[in-house]
Amino acid sequence: MFKHFRDIAGLIVLGCVTVVGEASAAGMAEPWQVDLQTPASPVAEQIRSFNAILFSLEALITLVVLGLMGFIIWRFNAKRNPVPNKRTHNTALEILWTVVPILILVVVAFPSLRLLFFMDRTQDAEMTIKVVGHQWYWSYEYPDHGDFTFDSIMIPDDELKPGQPRLLAVDNPVVVPVGVNVRVLLTSDDVIHSWAVPSLGLKTDTVPGRTNETWVNVNEEGTYYGMCSELCGINHGYMPVAVKAVSKAEFDAWSKNAKQEFARNDGQATHVVQAVGEVSQ
Amino acid sequence: MTAEHHPTGWRRWVYSTNHKDIGTMYIVLSMIGAIIGGGMSWYIRLELAQPGIQFIEDTQLYNVLVTAHGFLMVFFVVMPAMIGGFGNWFVPLMIGAPDMSFPRMNNISFWLLVAALVLLVIAGLTGGGPGTGWTVYPPLSSATFHPGPAVDFAILSLHVAGASSILGAINLITTIINMRAPGMTMHRAPLFVWAILVTAFLLLLAIPVLAGALTMLLTDRNFGTSFFIPEGGGDPILWQHLFWFFGHPEVYIIIIPAFGIISQIIATFSKKPVFGYLGMAYAMCAIGFVGFVVWAHHMYTVGLDVNTRAYFVLATMVIAVPTGIKIFSWLATMWGGSITFKTPMLFATGFIALFVAGGVTGVVLSNAGMDVALHDTYYVVAHFHYVLSIAAVFAMYAGFYYWIGKMSGRQYSETLGKIHFWASFVGVNLLFFPQHFLGAAGMPRRIPDYPDAYAGWNMVSSIGALITAIGTVFFLYIVWHTLTRGQKAKANPWGEGATTLEWTVASPAPFHTHEELPNMEPAQAGE
Amino acid sequence: MRNRRQIVTAALLVALVSGMTGLAFASVPLYRLFCQVTGFGGTPRVETNGPTNTGPVSTRHITVRFDSNVNSALPWRFKPVQRQMNVRIGEATLAHFTAENLAQEPAIGTATFNVTPHKAAQYFAKVQCFCFDEQRLEAGQRVDMPVSFFIDPEILDDPNAQDVSTITLSYTFFRSDSL
Repeated sequence: MFKHFRDIAGLIVLGCVTVVGEASAAGMAEPWQVDLQTPASPVAEQIRSFNAILFSLEALITLVVLGLMGFIIWRFNAKRNPVPNKRTHNTALEILWTVVPILILVVVAFPSLRLLFFMDRTQDAEMTIKVVGHQWYWSYEYPDHGDFTFDSIMIPDDELKPGQPRLLAVDNPVVVPVGVNVRVLLTSDDVIHSWAVPSLGLKTDTVPGRTNETWVNVNEEGTYYGMCSELCGINHGYMPVAVKAVSKAEFDAWSKNAKQEFARNDGQATHVVQAVGEVSQ
Repeated sequence: MTAEHHPTGWRRWVYSTNHKDIGTMYIVLSMIGAIIGGGMSWYIRLELAQPGIQFIEDTQLYNVLVTAHGFLMVFFVVMPAMIGGFGNWFVPLMIGAPDMSFPRMNNISFWLLVAALVLLVIAGLTGGGPGTGWTVYPPLSSATFHPGPAVDFAILSLHVAGASSILGAINLITTIINMRAPGMTMHRAPLFVWAILVTAFLLLLAIPVLAGALTMLLTDRNFGTSFFIPEGGGDPILWQHLFWFFGHPEVYIIIIPAFGIISQIIATFSKKPVFGYLGMAYAMCAIGFVGFVVWAHHMYTVGLDVNTRAYFVLATMVIAVPTGIKIFSWLATMWGGSITFKTPMLFATGFIALFVAGGVTGVVLSNAGMDVALHDTYYVVAHFHYVLSIAAVFAMYAGFYYWIGKMSGRQYSETLGKIHFWASFVGVNLLFFPQHFLGAAGMPRRIPDYPDAYAGWNMVSSIGALITAIGTVFFLYIVWHTLTRGQKAKANPWGEGATTLEWTVASPAPFHTHEELPNMEPAQAGE
Repeated sequence: MRNRRQIVTAALLVALVSGMTGLAFASVPLYRLFCQVTGFGGTPRVETNGPTNTGPVSTRHITVRFDSNVNSALPWRFKPVQRQMNVRIGEATLAHFTAENLAQEPAIGTATFNVTPHKAAQYFAKVQCFCFDEQRLEAGQRVDMPVSFFIDPEILDDPNAQDVSTITLSYTFFRSDSL
């Protein structure tokens, strides 16, 4: 395993080059990324700007508290301050450090709830797609476009084509038009999964026996990746989400074609579900 | 218990009814748990050091490791060390009681926990093991998706561990309420005693809910009920509500004793009484109380309606206020003090730094809108490891160095202790800080392999894990070194700052202490 | 030495533990009741007597969409006849689903259901529904499954629900005879 450590230097150099040299492409994480993925939907944009507020506040608080602690360590160590005072109460101070955090929290609460209510509201969705979680792939249904359905399965490492990201690329991405409010209904056929696309600000659990709802409006054409975000069994790490956003015209053409290509949606899973008992061997 | 009763040999331990011996056994059990659970996490980090599958070909095994690591660290490392270990040892000493209220029950509590650990090991070795995560969410944990006895054994293990905790909590509360020395009013009790009292109440309120939910899960799995199975009209989300009604107080069960230990140590080494004693005591009560009304902040993405989420956002944020009071009071205790940075104090200041860092990310996560980006990512992993794992473990190390002289009669080596601190501090920060970056960039938890973009920070994190592991092995050496080579400890090695009653008895603390109750009338009150 | 006070304290604590254990089990019916009353988790109301409001119904309309799922253990086809309906608030409406047993032997299914967005669930009332009972389909049998419902005009008074223009009613059929 020591050979792994040889790679570190290479990785670090590569990472610096990547961070400096490349404009960030949306849809997935960059090497050495430290922040949220580039937003590509109104929700993701709002998450990012709320995060900016949060991050600056939290960084400030951390620096102030740790700075204060550093000062105390320097000023009141036994060498510099051999005789301790015995002060154990200061009502004004105690009220201050109760009230100031409350005020900070109030300041945070307003944008927080605004974001929450914004992302909850499916506004005048023009179309609906349905996401069904399975062990261990997703299937998608298009009830408004002829009710076709298809499965979306990860491409194994040895079948990847150049440019397809490992563990993220799938055989059939879910296709949506850009600039359109899309209602997303989510459910599961077996255990709880979670359908997540960070750059679109999406993460909703799929729960068997109930349907959840969220929405998305993709800003730009492109492919946006995510991964299942609720532990769902042995292949939990191998059921990525890929959302392909295309122009409206392209979407119409695709959906007409897809209606022919994919089997009629008769409510049955088209993929053979692994037999019970193979789950844990 | 009479002074003549002092069994020797194996009977001393197996049949022990002595709070100090039982406390010692808890600490030993915790160290065994830490070696197993820590070994698992080291193996996980080794796997994650590079993209691709390195060592753990069987992803079910990976899930089992993740699950077992969580169970072990929560139920068999932190809880036994803090509550069973330090609680048993020092609550009676600090309040001036000769022993616990129910010494035989104390023995049962301990051996039940050993039985629970055995059951957990059996769970890990049968039928593919429980790969459900420590949250055991159905339907993944149901008989359909986890056939075989592994999950049943895990449930039984938690049942037995829960029974152990409940008995221990009843014992501690009864002791603290009834056995304080004359003059030791609750408002004069050391903050560690307060912390254990609050923790014990949290255990009594939270564990039965877990026990009830586990029983339902067990009957769902084996007897055809369907509390949580949608096929039979059950609701898997109900499990999550019940689990987190237990699970959130559980995190305070882990951290509140740490608060108590840190308060004692900071006062001792600043040579000052704790600043804002009452505020500190009631802040712990407030944290404990609020801990019961915030559970669904673990469930922001399951499909709760928006008003429910809004409530849980606001309720969760409230926790920051009493927690802030504690941080500021510790700093105010240090302010104006004459601080010596012996190893326990180093770990205590380290604790504050880690807890602040973990606390602010907690405020970030409390926002349901933000949580959509961060839920179930490494950001959450970084957050709860900062507060629960490394801050709590720093408090355990701090307590160990603080009290080892009292417990063993031998003092640790200051040089070795300081090396251990710096190795741990650098190691854990290198280990967990980059995980914030991974999580923000969207890397999910509980995956054995990750997209190549996450390789860099994962490698850094794994290097941190290596340093931490070296530090931990070094700690085991320090334990051995202290017990065999350590200097003889004085009754009070810390000087004027150490005012609590445990420092008034000899080191090591005699088998029976406080046979004549110390008088704590105000003139000599030791707070 | 133990005294009475310690025994009393311990007894009280045991009572507390028993109480909490009882509450954990009581939470099952309580949770169900809570969901039914408040629409929590998207649980629609059941009003077998139909709309209580006999006054003039609102002129506002809401789109109701229908969603259907069949668990893969049940060999049925189950689909809404109409994808969506434009429903007048306060007016009882009838919608239809069809279910067909594709297997060679009979099977019994039960449907779970919920409404999204969740905040609208407390205003969505079902009068009659196939989902209230188990359904048995013979081999190859195809049946019509009606559901009648109305939207409570109180939704108009809820400032939180003002943005709700579409409600989705979703069903999932599970096999219930192999349990």
